[in-house]
Amino acid sequence: MRSYPVLALALGLAAMPALAADRWQIQHPDSRLGFEATQQGGQFEGHFADYSAQMRFSADDLANSGFDVRIDMTSVDTGSGQRDNALPDKPWFHTEVFPEARYVTREIRRTDDGYEAVGDLTIRDNTHEVILPFTWQVDGDTAMMDGSVVIDRTRFGVGQGEWQDPQVAGHDVEVIVDLTLDRVAD
Amino acid sequence: MMQIRNSSSRWGAGAQLLHWLMALGIATAMGLGWVMVNLPMGALKFQLYAVHKSLGITLLALVMLRLVWRWLNTTPPLPGQLPRHERWLAHGAHRALYALMLLMPLSGYVINSAANFPLNVFGLVQIPNLTPESEALGEWASRIHLALFWGFVLVLAGHIGGALRHHFILRDDILRRMLPGRSPR
Ligand code: HEM
Repeated sequence: MRSYPVLALALGLAAMPALAADRWQIQHPDSRLGFEATQQGGQFEGHFADYSAQMRFSADDLANSGFDVRIDMTSVDTGSGQRDNALPDKPWFHTEVFPEARYVTREIRRTDDGYEAVGDLTIRDNTHEVILPFTWQVDGDTAMMDGSVVIDRTRFGVGQGEWQDPQVAGHDVEVIVDLTLDRVAD
Repeated sequence: MMQIRNSSSRWGAGAQLLHWLMALGIATAMGLGWVMVNLPMGALKFQLYAVHKSLGITLLALVMLRLVWRWLNTTPPLPGQLPRHERWLAHGAHRALYALMLLMPLSGYVINSAANFPLNVFGLVQIPNLTPESEALGEWASRIHLALFWGFVLVLAGHIGGALRHHFILRDDILRRMLPGRSPR
Protein backbone atom coordinates (compact mmCIF):
# COMPACT_ATOMS: atom_id res chain seq x y z
CA MET A 1 0.00 0.00 0.00
CA ARG A 2 2.92 2.31 0.57
CA SER A 3 3.52 2.62 -3.17
CA TYR A 4 0.00 3.78 -3.85
CA PRO A 5 0.69 7.53 -3.77
CA VAL A 6 3.65 7.09 -6.14
CA LEU A 7 1.49 5.16 -8.57
CA ALA A 8 -1.20 7.78 -8.37
CA LEU A 9 1.37 10.48 -9.09
CA ALA A 10 2.69 8.58 -12.09
CA LEU A 11 -0.78 8.07 -13.50
CA GLY A 12 -1.59 11.71 -12.94
CA LEU A 13 1.57 12.83 -14.76
CA ALA A 14 0.86 10.60 -17.74
CA ALA A 15 -2.62 12.05 -18.09
CA MET A 16 -1.27 15.60 -18.16
CA PRO A 17 -0.20 17.13 -21.51
CA ALA A 18 3.56 17.39 -21.93
CA LEU A 19 4.95 20.85 -21.27
CA ALA A 20 7.43 20.60 -24.14
CA ALA A 21 8.61 18.05 -26.61
CA ASP A 22 11.63 15.90 -25.72
CA ARG A 23 15.06 17.42 -25.88
CA TRP A 24 17.68 15.66 -28.05
CA GLN A 25 21.42 15.86 -28.37
CA ILE A 26 23.29 15.10 -31.58
CA GLN A 27 25.78 12.21 -31.39
CA HIS A 28 28.39 13.72 -33.65
CA PRO A 29 30.47 10.63 -34.44
CA ASP A 30 27.34 8.95 -35.87
CA SER A 31 25.89 12.01 -37.56
CA ARG A 32 26.52 13.87 -40.76
CA LEU A 33 25.46 17.21 -42.09
CA GLY A 34 26.36 16.84 -45.72
CA PHE A 35 25.61 18.08 -49.19
CA GLU A 36 25.86 17.07 -52.82
CA ALA A 37 26.74 19.56 -55.51
CA THR A 38 28.09 19.65 -59.05
CA GLN A 39 31.23 21.12 -60.55
CA GLN A 40 31.68 21.22 -64.34
CA GLY A 41 28.75 18.84 -64.54
CA GLY A 42 30.34 16.28 -62.22
CA GLN A 43 28.90 15.43 -58.84
CA PHE A 44 30.80 15.69 -55.55
CA GLU A 45 29.99 15.43 -51.86
CA GLY A 46 30.93 17.46 -48.87
CA HIS A 47 30.02 17.97 -45.25
CA PHE A 48 30.35 20.39 -42.37
CA ALA A 49 32.45 19.01 -39.54
CA ASP A 50 31.25 21.51 -36.93
CA TYR A 51 27.63 22.26 -36.24
CA SER A 52 25.44 22.32 -33.20
CA ALA A 53 21.73 22.29 -32.63
CA GLN A 54 19.05 22.68 -30.05
CA MET A 55 16.48 20.08 -30.92
CA ARG A 56 13.11 19.39 -29.43
CA PHE A 57 10.97 16.70 -30.92
CA SER A 58 8.07 14.52 -29.86
CA ALA A 59 5.89 12.88 -32.44
CA ASP A 60 2.87 13.55 -30.23
CA ASP A 61 3.76 17.13 -29.53
CA LEU A 62 4.81 18.68 -32.84
CA ALA A 63 3.52 22.06 -31.71
CA ASN A 64 6.32 22.23 -29.16
CA SER A 65 8.92 20.60 -31.41
CA GLY A 66 11.53 22.64 -33.19
CA PHE A 67 15.17 22.87 -34.28
CA ASP A 68 17.73 25.63 -34.09
CA VAL A 69 20.86 24.64 -35.99
CA ARG A 70 24.12 26.57 -36.25
CA ILE A 71 26.68 25.57 -38.84
CA ASP A 72 30.33 26.60 -38.74
CA MET A 73 30.94 27.46 -42.40
CA THR A 74 34.71 27.31 -41.97
CA SER A 75 34.41 23.59 -41.23
CA VAL A 76 33.43 22.69 -44.80
CA ASP A 77 35.16 19.57 -46.08
CA THR A 78 34.69 18.31 -49.63
CA GLY A 79 37.77 16.10 -49.79
CA SER A 80 39.53 18.40 -52.23
CA GLY A 81 42.16 20.85 -51.00
CA GLN A 82 41.64 23.13 -53.98
CA ARG A 83 37.88 23.32 -53.39
CA ASP A 84 38.15 23.59 -49.63
CA ASN A 85 40.59 26.48 -49.96
CA ALA A 86 38.24 28.31 -52.29
CA LEU A 87 34.94 27.79 -50.45
CA PRO A 88 35.64 30.05 -47.43
CA ASP A 89 36.60 32.88 -49.82
CA LYS A 90 34.57 35.96 -50.60
CA PRO A 91 32.68 34.68 -53.67
CA TRP A 92 31.49 31.59 -51.80
CA PHE A 93 30.86 31.50 -48.03
CA HIS A 94 32.90 34.62 -47.19
CA THR A 95 33.50 33.14 -43.75
CA GLU A 96 35.48 36.15 -42.54
CA VAL A 97 32.24 38.10 -42.45
CA PHE A 98 29.69 35.25 -42.29
CA PRO A 99 31.28 32.47 -40.25
CA GLU A 100 27.97 30.85 -39.40
CA ALA A 101 24.84 29.64 -41.14
CA ARG A 102 21.65 29.03 -39.21
CA TYR A 103 18.41 27.13 -39.65
CA VAL A 104 15.54 27.89 -37.29
CA THR A 105 12.25 26.08 -37.65
CA ARG A 106 8.91 27.79 -37.27
CA GLU A 107 6.75 24.71 -37.54
CA ILE A 108 7.03 20.93 -37.75
CA ARG A 109 4.27 19.16 -39.63
CA ARG A 110 3.32 15.56 -40.15
CA THR A 111 3.38 14.31 -43.77
CA ASP A 112 2.52 11.04 -45.49
CA ASP A 113 6.14 9.90 -45.35
CA GLY A 114 7.10 11.35 -42.00
CA TYR A 115 7.49 15.01 -41.14
CA GLU A 116 8.59 18.30 -42.58
CA ALA A 117 10.21 21.25 -40.93
CA VAL A 118 9.31 24.71 -42.11
CA GLY A 119 12.13 27.02 -41.22
CA ASP A 120 14.35 29.92 -42.12
CA LEU A 121 17.79 29.19 -43.48
CA THR A 122 20.31 32.00 -43.26
CA ILE A 123 23.55 31.90 -45.22
CA ARG A 124 25.63 35.05 -45.78
CA ASP A 125 22.84 37.05 -44.12
CA ASN A 126 20.37 35.94 -46.80
CA THR A 127 17.34 34.34 -45.21
CA HIS A 128 14.87 32.18 -47.11
CA GLU A 129 12.25 29.69 -46.11
CA VAL A 130 13.37 26.10 -46.52
CA ILE A 131 11.05 23.16 -46.02
CA LEU A 132 12.98 20.10 -44.96
CA PRO A 133 11.17 16.75 -45.25
CA PHE A 134 12.53 14.18 -42.82
CA THR A 135 11.89 10.93 -41.03
CA TRP A 136 12.35 10.51 -37.30
CA GLN A 137 12.69 7.05 -35.82
CA VAL A 138 12.94 6.48 -32.12
CA ASP A 139 14.47 3.39 -30.58
CA GLY A 140 14.48 3.71 -26.79
CA ASP A 141 16.41 6.86 -25.96
CA THR A 142 17.99 7.12 -29.40
CA ALA A 143 16.53 8.75 -32.48
CA MET A 144 17.55 8.73 -36.12
CA MET A 145 16.72 11.70 -38.24
CA ASP A 146 17.07 11.51 -42.03
CA GLY A 147 16.20 14.28 -44.39
CA SER A 148 17.28 16.11 -47.49
CA VAL A 149 16.29 19.20 -49.37
CA VAL A 150 17.51 20.85 -52.56
CA ILE A 151 18.35 24.53 -52.29
CA ASP A 152 19.50 27.01 -54.93
CA ARG A 153 22.90 28.27 -53.75
CA THR A 154 22.58 31.50 -55.74
CA ARG A 155 19.54 32.61 -53.69
CA PHE A 156 21.87 32.74 -50.72
CA GLY A 157 24.62 34.53 -52.64
CA VAL A 158 26.93 31.51 -52.57
CA GLY A 159 29.18 31.49 -55.64
CA GLN A 160 29.26 35.00 -56.99
CA GLY A 161 30.70 36.57 -60.12
CA GLU A 162 31.96 34.01 -62.64
CA TRP A 163 30.95 31.24 -60.24
CA GLN A 164 27.30 32.00 -60.91
CA ASP A 165 27.55 30.11 -64.20
CA PRO A 166 25.70 26.82 -63.65
CA GLN A 167 28.13 25.04 -65.99
CA VAL A 168 30.95 25.94 -63.66
CA ALA A 169 29.08 24.89 -60.52
CA GLY A 170 25.46 23.76 -60.48
CA HIS A 171 22.93 25.98 -58.73
CA ASP A 172 21.14 23.11 -57.05
CA VAL A 173 22.73 21.79 -53.90
CA GLU A 174 21.19 18.92 -52.01
CA VAL A 175 21.56 19.29 -48.27
CA ILE A 176 21.55 15.94 -46.51
CA VAL A 177 20.83 15.59 -42.81
CA ASP A 178 21.65 12.26 -41.25
CA LEU A 179 21.63 12.50 -37.47
CA THR A 180 21.75 10.14 -34.54
CA LEU A 181 20.43 11.72 -31.36
CA ASP A 182 20.18 10.86 -27.70
CA ARG A 183 17.22 11.86 -25.57
CA VAL A 184 18.23 14.26 -22.82
CA ALA A 185 16.43 14.72 -19.55
CA ASP A 186 15.09 18.25 -19.16
CA MET B 1 34.62 0.06 -101.65
CA MET B 2 37.41 0.08 -99.10
CA GLN B 3 37.62 -2.88 -96.77
CA ILE B 4 37.23 -2.49 -93.03
CA ARG B 5 40.24 -4.55 -92.04
CA ASN B 6 43.87 -3.95 -92.92
CA SER B 7 45.48 -5.75 -95.84
CA SER B 8 49.19 -6.43 -96.38
CA SER B 9 49.42 -3.32 -98.58
CA ARG B 10 47.17 -0.74 -96.90
CA TRP B 11 45.31 0.28 -93.80
CA GLY B 12 41.63 -0.66 -93.77
CA ALA B 13 38.75 1.70 -93.03
CA GLY B 14 38.75 0.83 -89.31
CA ALA B 15 42.38 1.78 -88.76
CA GLN B 16 42.03 4.89 -90.94
CA LEU B 17 38.98 6.11 -89.10
CA LEU B 18 40.74 5.67 -85.75
CA HIS B 19 43.90 7.34 -87.06
CA TRP B 20 42.23 10.49 -88.41
CA LEU B 21 39.63 10.78 -85.68
CA MET B 22 42.40 10.69 -83.10
CA ALA B 23 44.60 13.06 -85.10
CA LEU B 24 41.79 15.60 -85.07
CA GLY B 25 41.03 14.96 -81.41
CA ILE B 26 44.65 15.23 -80.28
CA ALA B 27 45.18 18.48 -82.19
CA THR B 28 42.01 19.89 -80.63
CA ALA B 29 42.96 18.74 -77.12
CA MET B 30 46.39 20.35 -77.49
CA GLY B 31 44.94 23.61 -78.78
CA LEU B 32 42.29 23.67 -76.02
CA GLY B 33 44.88 22.82 -73.36
CA TRP B 34 47.15 25.60 -74.46
CA VAL B 35 44.40 28.21 -74.70
CA MET B 36 42.56 27.30 -71.49
CA VAL B 37 45.57 27.46 -69.15
CA ASN B 38 46.33 30.94 -70.44
CA LEU B 39 42.79 32.30 -70.10
CA PRO B 40 41.88 34.49 -67.13
CA MET B 41 39.52 33.03 -64.49
CA GLY B 42 36.04 32.94 -65.88
CA ALA B 43 33.20 30.89 -67.24
CA LEU B 44 34.91 30.31 -70.61
CA LYS B 45 38.03 28.92 -68.92
CA PHE B 46 35.99 26.37 -66.97
CA GLN B 47 33.97 25.38 -70.00
CA LEU B 48 37.13 24.77 -72.00
CA TYR B 49 38.57 22.72 -69.13
CA ALA B 50 35.44 20.58 -69.13
CA VAL B 51 35.62 20.01 -72.90
CA HIS B 52 39.37 19.36 -72.75
CA LYS B 53 38.97 16.71 -70.07
CA SER B 54 36.01 15.03 -71.77
CA LEU B 55 37.82 14.98 -75.11
CA GLY B 56 40.98 13.65 -73.46
CA ILE B 57 39.11 10.78 -71.81
CA THR B 58 37.44 9.98 -75.15
CA LEU B 59 40.89 9.83 -76.72
CA LEU B 60 42.06 7.48 -73.98
CA ALA B 61 39.16 5.15 -74.82
CA LEU B 62 39.90 5.46 -78.53
CA VAL B 63 43.60 4.61 -78.19
CA MET B 64 42.75 1.45 -76.26
CA LEU B 65 40.28 0.48 -78.96
CA ARG B 66 42.95 1.28 -81.51
CA LEU B 67 45.52 -0.96 -79.83
CA VAL B 68 43.02 -3.83 -79.76
CA TRP B 69 42.19 -3.26 -83.41
CA ARG B 70 45.87 -3.20 -84.31
CA TRP B 71 46.39 -6.46 -82.48
CA LEU B 72 43.44 -8.09 -84.29
CA ASN B 73 44.66 -6.97 -87.72
CA THR B 74 47.75 -7.45 -89.81
CA THR B 75 49.97 -4.40 -89.95
CA PRO B 76 50.93 -3.46 -93.50
CA PRO B 77 54.75 -3.66 -93.47
CA LEU B 78 56.92 -0.70 -94.43
CA PRO B 79 58.23 -0.92 -98.03
CA GLY B 80 61.27 -3.20 -98.33
CA GLN B 81 63.48 -0.58 -99.99
CA LEU B 82 63.39 1.60 -96.87
CA PRO B 83 66.87 2.00 -95.31
CA ARG B 84 67.36 0.29 -91.97
CA HIS B 85 67.76 3.45 -89.92
CA GLU B 86 64.60 4.99 -91.43
CA ARG B 87 62.66 1.85 -90.70
CA TRP B 88 63.98 1.97 -87.15
CA LEU B 89 63.05 5.66 -86.85
CA ALA B 90 59.53 5.13 -88.16
CA HIS B 91 58.85 2.21 -85.83
CA GLY B 92 60.33 4.13 -82.92
CA ALA B 93 58.13 7.12 -83.66
CA HIS B 94 55.02 4.92 -83.85
CA ARG B 95 55.83 3.27 -80.52
CA ALA B 96 56.43 6.68 -78.97
CA LEU B 97 53.11 7.93 -80.38
CA TYR B 98 51.20 5.05 -78.83
CA ALA B 99 52.95 5.65 -75.50
CA LEU B 100 52.12 9.37 -75.69
CA MET B 101 48.50 8.70 -76.70
CA LEU B 102 48.18 6.64 -73.51
CA LEU B 103 50.27 8.72 -71.11
CA MET B 104 49.00 12.13 -72.18
CA PRO B 105 45.37 11.53 -71.17
CA LEU B 106 46.41 9.35 -68.22
CA SER B 107 48.55 12.12 -66.73
CA GLY B 108 45.68 14.57 -67.25
CA TYR B 109 43.32 12.14 -65.56
CA VAL B 110 45.75 11.97 -62.62
CA ILE B 111 45.84 15.81 -62.35
CA ASN B 112 42.07 15.78 -62.06
CA SER B 113 41.99 12.80 -59.69
CA ALA B 114 44.64 14.23 -57.37
CA ALA B 115 42.55 17.42 -57.11
CA ASN B 116 39.59 15.16 -56.28
CA PHE B 117 37.51 16.98 -58.87
CA PRO B 118 34.57 15.10 -60.35
CA LEU B 119 34.84 14.20 -64.03
CA ASN B 120 31.73 13.90 -66.09
CA VAL B 121 32.53 13.04 -69.70
CA PHE B 122 30.53 15.37 -71.97
CA GLY B 123 27.73 15.43 -69.39
CA LEU B 124 27.03 11.76 -70.14
CA VAL B 125 28.85 9.63 -67.58
CA GLN B 126 30.71 10.36 -64.42
CA ILE B 127 33.93 8.38 -64.18
CA PRO B 128 35.66 7.60 -60.88
CA ASN B 129 38.94 9.17 -59.85
CA LEU B 130 42.13 7.15 -60.20
CA THR B 131 44.09 8.33 -57.18
CA PRO B 132 43.52 9.65 -53.69
CA GLU B 133 43.57 13.40 -53.20
CA SER B 134 47.15 14.69 -53.12
CA GLU B 135 48.54 18.10 -53.88
CA ALA B 136 52.07 16.76 -54.46
CA LEU B 137 50.86 14.10 -56.88
CA GLY B 138 48.78 16.68 -58.74
CA GLU B 139 51.81 18.91 -59.18
CA TRP B 140 53.88 16.04 -60.52
CA ALA B 141 51.16 14.95 -62.90
CA SER B 142 50.80 18.51 -64.09
CA ARG B 143 54.54 18.74 -64.84
CA ILE B 144 54.45 15.40 -66.65
CA HIS B 145 51.36 16.44 -68.64
CA LEU B 146 53.20 19.54 -69.86
CA ALA B 147 56.44 17.66 -70.58
CA LEU B 148 54.52 15.03 -72.55
CA PHE B 149 52.94 17.81 -74.57
CA TRP B 150 56.37 18.94 -75.76
CA GLY B 151 57.34 15.33 -76.35
CA PHE B 152 54.20 14.93 -78.44
CA VAL B 153 54.99 18.05 -80.47
CA LEU B 154 58.48 16.73 -81.17
CA VAL B 155 57.46 13.22 -82.22
CA LEU B 156 54.51 14.51 -84.25
CA ALA B 157 56.80 16.87 -86.14
CA GLY B 158 58.92 13.85 -87.13
CA HIS B 159 55.86 11.72 -87.90
CA ILE B 160 54.14 14.34 -90.07
CA GLY B 161 57.42 15.42 -91.66
CA GLY B 162 58.21 11.80 -92.53
CA ALA B 163 54.79 11.22 -94.07
CA LEU B 164 55.05 14.35 -96.18
CA ARG B 165 58.59 13.47 -97.29
CA HIS B 166 57.40 10.07 -98.45
CA HIS B 167 54.50 11.56 -100.34
CA PHE B 168 56.07 14.60 -101.99
CA ILE B 169 59.77 13.79 -102.21
CA LEU B 170 60.07 10.01 -102.34
CA ARG B 171 56.66 9.81 -104.07
CA ASP B 172 55.76 6.43 -102.56
CA ASP B 173 52.49 5.06 -101.14
CA ILE B 174 53.18 5.51 -97.43
CA LEU B 175 50.74 8.41 -96.93
CA ARG B 176 48.23 7.14 -99.48
CA ARG B 177 47.77 3.83 -97.70
CA MET B 178 46.45 5.74 -94.69
CA LEU B 179 44.06 7.72 -96.93
CA PRO B 180 40.68 6.62 -98.21
CA GLY B 181 40.06 6.28 -101.92
CA ARG B 182 42.34 4.85 -104.58
CA SER B 183 44.18 1.68 -103.83
CA PRO B 184 47.95 2.07 -103.86
CA ARG B 185 49.60 1.25 -107.13
C1 HEM C 1 45.42 13.27 -75.75
C2 HEM C 1 44.92 13.88 -74.72
C3 HEM C 1 45.39 15.19 -74.15
C4 HEM C 1 46.17 16.19 -74.69
C5 HEM C 1 46.86 16.21 -76.08
C6 HEM C 1 46.29 17.24 -73.71
C7 HEM C 1 47.01 18.41 -73.87
C8 HEM C 1 47.13 19.41 -72.93
C9 HEM C 1 47.91 20.61 -73.07
C10 HEM C 1 48.70 21.01 -74.31
C11 HEM C 1 47.78 21.33 -71.93
C12 HEM C 1 48.47 22.64 -71.57
C13 HEM C 1 49.69 22.30 -70.78
C14 HEM C 1 50.15 23.38 -69.86
O1 HEM C 1 50.36 24.49 -70.33
O2 HEM C 1 50.26 23.09 -68.65
C15 HEM C 1 46.91 20.59 -71.04
C16 HEM C 1 46.58 20.99 -69.76
C17 HEM C 1 45.70 20.29 -68.92
N1 HEM C 1 45.09 19.07 -69.20
FE1 HEM C 1 45.32 17.99 -70.86
N2 HEM C 1 45.57 16.87 -72.58
C18 HEM C 1 44.99 15.64 -72.82
C19 HEM C 1 44.19 14.93 -71.96
C20 HEM C 1 43.74 15.37 -70.72
C21 HEM C 1 42.83 14.66 -69.86
C22 HEM C 1 42.20 13.32 -70.15
C23 HEM C 1 42.64 15.44 -68.74
C24 HEM C 1 41.81 15.22 -67.52
C25 HEM C 1 41.00 14.24 -67.31
C26 HEM C 1 43.45 16.61 -68.91
C27 HEM C 1 43.55 17.62 -67.97
C28 HEM C 1 44.32 18.73 -68.11
C29 HEM C 1 44.42 19.77 -67.11
C30 HEM C 1 43.69 19.79 -65.75
C31 HEM C 1 45.28 20.73 -67.63
C32 HEM C 1 45.66 22.06 -66.94
C33 HEM C 1 47.10 22.24 -66.74
C34 HEM C 1 47.62 21.67 -65.46
O3 HEM C 1 46.94 21.73 -64.44
O4 HEM C 1 48.77 21.19 -65.52
N3 HEM C 1 44.10 16.54 -70.12
N4 HEM C 1 46.54 19.42 -71.68
